Amino acid sequence: MKVMPCPLNGPRPIQEFTCGGEVVAPPDPDHADAEAWADYLFLHDNAAGVVREWWYHVPTSFWFIADRDTVTDEIVRTFLPRELFGPDAQPDRP
Amino acid sequence: MVEPRSPIDDALRAAGGSIGEHAGATVVIDYGDPDEEAEAARGLGLADLSPLPRVGFRGPGAREWLTAWGVDLPDEPNRACIQPDGAIAVTRSWTEVLVLGSTQSADSLCARLEAGTSDAHRARAYSLPRFDGLFWFALTGASAADCLAKICGVDMRETAFSSGSVAQTSLARLNAVIVRVDAGATPLFHLLGDSASAEYAWASLLDAMQEFDGRPVGLRALHALAREFK
Repeated sequence: MKVMPCPLNGPRPIQEFTCGGEVVAPPDPDHADAEAWADYLFLHDNAAGVVREWWYHVPTSFWFIADRDTVTDEIVRTFLPRELFGPDAQPDRP
Repeated sequence: MVEPRSPIDDALRAAGGSIGEHAGATVVIDYGDPDEEAEAARGLGLADLSPLPRVGFRGPGAREWLTAWGVDLPDEPNRACIQPDGAIAVTRSWTEVLVLGSTQSADSLCARLEAGTSDAHRARAYSLPRFDGLFWFALTGASAADCLAKICGVDMRETAFSSGSVAQTSLARLNAVIVRVDAGATPLFHLLGDSASAEYAWASLLDAMQEFDGRPVGLRALHALAREFK
């Protein structure tokens, strides 16, 4: 059984999680053209190596971020989104 | 007014459950054999507590608001804390708390909190009605952790999951909250999940309990357990 370390719930079977795709910055809504939006929404890097992804723990509806090696499928690290986006993005988390 | 019924009311009656009143709620008091049920509660028993009160709160101010109402809260997520009246406060995240009413005495805490929710939003605490949405079972007895191991990926043994621990995980492939609050030396797990799947969960648990000679027990058996360690 593959185990994912959830920042809220601790180690859990991978079946309890859903991958939300790569963490990518959205384009500037005031200046982005259609091509930039299409790239953001539909095109993925699909890189070989350590990538940064959104993951979702289904029983608790909890989103977090994981660094995962797509070659070995090793989960390098998991952490709260506020680590990337600052406390203002999640003011209710410690 | 029609009394609120358990989502598995039909199954409980079909199993011979004697429905009676406990602190204003209609629950299964016993299945006709209190002595054997008290024994099963020490070995492996499953009780339906769905008709008992429960309420949730979420929001950046939820902890502060509940503390102001006198609720003792664990510091960490996924922990449970017993209140003076026997109610249980469960932290589901940093900002969400589930309160389970007392199984021993007439509920006062949930009723008080629900009556006070009208001004909770000013403190950025938002009430989550949990009575209709979640079933509530109690799995009790020495074999309870072994039985859960058949349908749940989290280690529920005393060494890994002591009294006061909470797991929000998959139980028989259902999303569930598992709260361990032992009755003295007897393991006791409160199980909560989507009430629309209550019949499936009840049947799955009874099926998993067969090899340990588990059986459904009434509220009287839980009370007998509680008296033993007092």
